[in-house]
Amino acid sequence: MHIAEGYLPPVQAAAWFAVSAPFVVHGSRTLVRQVRRDPDSKLLLGAAGAFTFVLSALKIPSVTGSCSHPTGTGLGAVLFRPPVMSVLGGIVLLFQAVLLAHGGLSTLGANIFSMAIVGPWVAFAVYALVRRAGGGMDVAVFAAAALGDLATYCVTSVQLALAFPDPAAGFVAALAKFGGIFAVTQIPLAISEGLLSVLVVRLLTRTSGDDLRRLGVLPTPAEVRA
Amino acid sequence: MFALDVAAHTGPWRPRHPAEKALLSLGLLACAVALPPWPGAVLSGGAAATLLLGPARVSPAVLLRAARVPLLFVATSTVPLLVTMPAPARLAVDPAGPALAAQTAGRSVAALACLLLFSATTPLSEVLPRLHRLGIPAAVTEVAALTYRMLFLLVDSVRAVREAQAARLGFRTWRTAYASLAGQAGAVFVRAFSRARRLEEGLALRGYTGSLAVQVEARRMSPPFVAATVGLLVTIVVATAVAGSRW
Repeated sequence: MHIAEGYLPPVQAAAWFAVSAPFVVHGSRTLVRQVRRDPDSKLLLGAAGAFTFVLSALKIPSVTGSCSHPTGTGLGAVLFRPPVMSVLGGIVLLFQAVLLAHGGLSTLGANIFSMAIVGPWVAFAVYALVRRAGGGMDVAVFAAAALGDLATYCVTSVQLALAFPDPAAGFVAALAKFGGIFAVTQIPLAISEGLLSVLVVRLLTRTSGDDLRRLGVLPTPAEVRA
Repeated sequence: MFALDVAAHTGPWRPRHPAEKALLSLGLLACAVALPPWPGAVLSGGAAATLLLGPARVSPAVLLRAARVPLLFVATSTVPLLVTMPAPARLAVDPAGPALAAQTAGRSVAALACLLLFSATTPLSEVLPRLHRLGIPAAVTEVAALTYRMLFLLVDSVRAVREAQAARLGFRTWRTAYASLAGQAGAVFVRAFSRARRLEEGLALRGYTGSLAVQVEARRMSPPFVAATVGLLVTIVVATAVAGSRW
């Protein structure tokens, strides 16, 4: 759920850039270190960015009869890890703004914070917790993708509520209003994205096991033996 | 390719320096967002729309198609501004709501016109190699450029896979639709990583040292264009200040 160009007041838009900046800088440093250590990884990161862009452009059938797009943050965080996703997500959001007019340049900071920072970190934390608790891959991926998507939607509602507090009851009422109006599409979408991510990971486990092992999603034979 | 990118590559402003177009469209965007909506956003959005349909010769159909999704967001998220919540679980019409909704929607539509002015006149392939001059690490701009180059191939792949699945009744039921979507995502993943590996091998054979710098076509800044842009931006700011003092 991208906040459209110019929708946020200028001060709020600038503040979200400031909030997102440390995460993007940290992600960029991680990426630069990774590329310095292994120059070939640049090509894989480019492929990962393109995959994330195309994943977010897939049309999921929605309960309202129309189509929605997944955020791709949950699956992206599981495959590529959150620090890298903050940069890749930022690049994807910039491309979506410039190539498709989804989101915007003035709202890029706010959209990066919800979709490239909070979404991936929540998704990865859920994935790691479920796996550590002994949950299977399917359960972990479903929970990560669905909750990552929901976290993105909640943060966007918070951003809009902070920008436009209710005149009578302030921030909380505004959060209920924005959260309520977007819940109609976002909750079914989160469940859909969870299901789709499970199917994608099952398919990739069968067809691209080596790539998943290289990304650290599946254990290597040595790790399995240990 | 995407319709806006096609417009940027084929439009009459293609030979202009990206910085000129960035100054114009991002300057108008800053005016639309930072100045009071009336008349600042109206003037900025109006100027962007006039430039898009006039000198930049972008098709109105392309613009309307690109604007559909953001306008849907603006329409949906403007509804909560019209009502207030005086007590829990009770909604009432806010008398000040229509004015706030009109201001917010007006600013957003004007800003969208400015964004479209940039998108439909400036190819990303000309912007990305120049981004390192703004202090962005070369590794990040190179990853962005690789992403840009690969995504067209992957979007074409997804289209081909989707058509093949549709021809085989892959979207007949919800169950088959989800299986088909997973197939699309899986195909994209496999193709993206296979292409990355082939690039890796090709570059290794050519003595890859870690730098993917590409040659950028040299473009000269046009002083009259820059002067006209500054004049337009100053006029909008002054007109807004004058109108603000009168109202």
